[in-house]
Amino acid sequence: MSAGVDMRDDAGMDVQQAGVILRQAGERARRELAVKRPLLLATWGLVTLAGYGVTWLSVRGQRPIHGPAVWAIVTVVALLLIAVVLTAWVVDRASSGVGGLSVRQRGSFALALAVGVVALEIFIRAVSHAGADRAVVLLLGVAAPLLVTGVVLLASCAVHGSLDVPRLSLGLWLLAVASEGAWAGPVTYLWVCALVGGGGILLMAALEPALRRS
Amino acid sequence: MTEDSLDPLIHVPARLRIVVTLAALRDGEDLSFTRLQDMIGLTPGNLITHLRKLEDAGYVTTERSGNGNAARTSVALTRDGRVALDRYTTTLRQLLDSASPA
Repeated sequence: MSAGVDMRDDAGMDVQQAGVILRQAGERARRELAVKRPLLLATWGLVTLAGYGVTWLSVRGQRPIHGPAVWAIVTVVALLLIAVVLTAWVVDRASSGVGGLSVRQRGSFALALAVGVVALEIFIRAVSHAGADRAVVLLLGVAAPLLVTGVVLLASCAVHGSLDVPRLSLGLWLLAVASEGAWAGPVTYLWVCALVGGGGILLMAALEPALRRS
Repeated sequence: MTEDSLDPLIHVPARLRIVVTLAALRDGEDLSFTRLQDMIGLTPGNLITHLRKLEDAGYVTTERSGNGNAARTSVALTRDGRVALDRYTTTLRQLLDSASPA
């Protein structure tokens, strides 16, 4: 309750009070019911930056390439876990008590991401098992998260009723980084994904509110 | 234009809050009774009374699902309710504009 407005059944009010309620209730509902996408984008941008950055630190200078060190893999897994927990908390806070289409869409989005990443990881292990060069395996491992996320973002745009510019832009950006960056070779590809991929997500975190309003 | 031209069903503090809150949801979404109660700050009895009036007018729908502890009552704004709120907002803005000094 706010603005000293009488909430008794059928209590009257003047137009000024009605204007205040209309504005305050609308702002509060939008604030509380909306998933804080800039926060989530900033989290995943930092995780992308740090995750690829840490992996790059562990493989730079390797001749021949034999893959990321255990400490780097542990760090990346820890970063991913933190991001997943934070994402679940932010989404749950906003969508608590909300039912219907968007909740099902969010669930499908998360499932598609998880299944896509796991399927590609299995595929990469199969490629490695078949005797592929370590550099090729690293290249595929680096590309997989960005490729899956980019494709899922674009696919989710297709099923949304309205044009979601931030989602569409980010999907295209991640696919561009994943496909074009690979030409730089596996080690350089890591910092390209860290800086250009992670940086792009962080930039989107800053631009998202303005793009959404436009 | 006078205050009488405002929809009397919406022009009540509690019901205006309810309708505005539900309008923040996307089409096809609904809100649980308990979350709506938390956001509006009404007692369950008061909220039921206001929802019943809005439901009778066709502005909201309520749906009960599940049994026992898992029971959930969800509330959603209808298309008529959204149209009524748009009309109310337009009329209110005109009244506020005409009341403000030039």
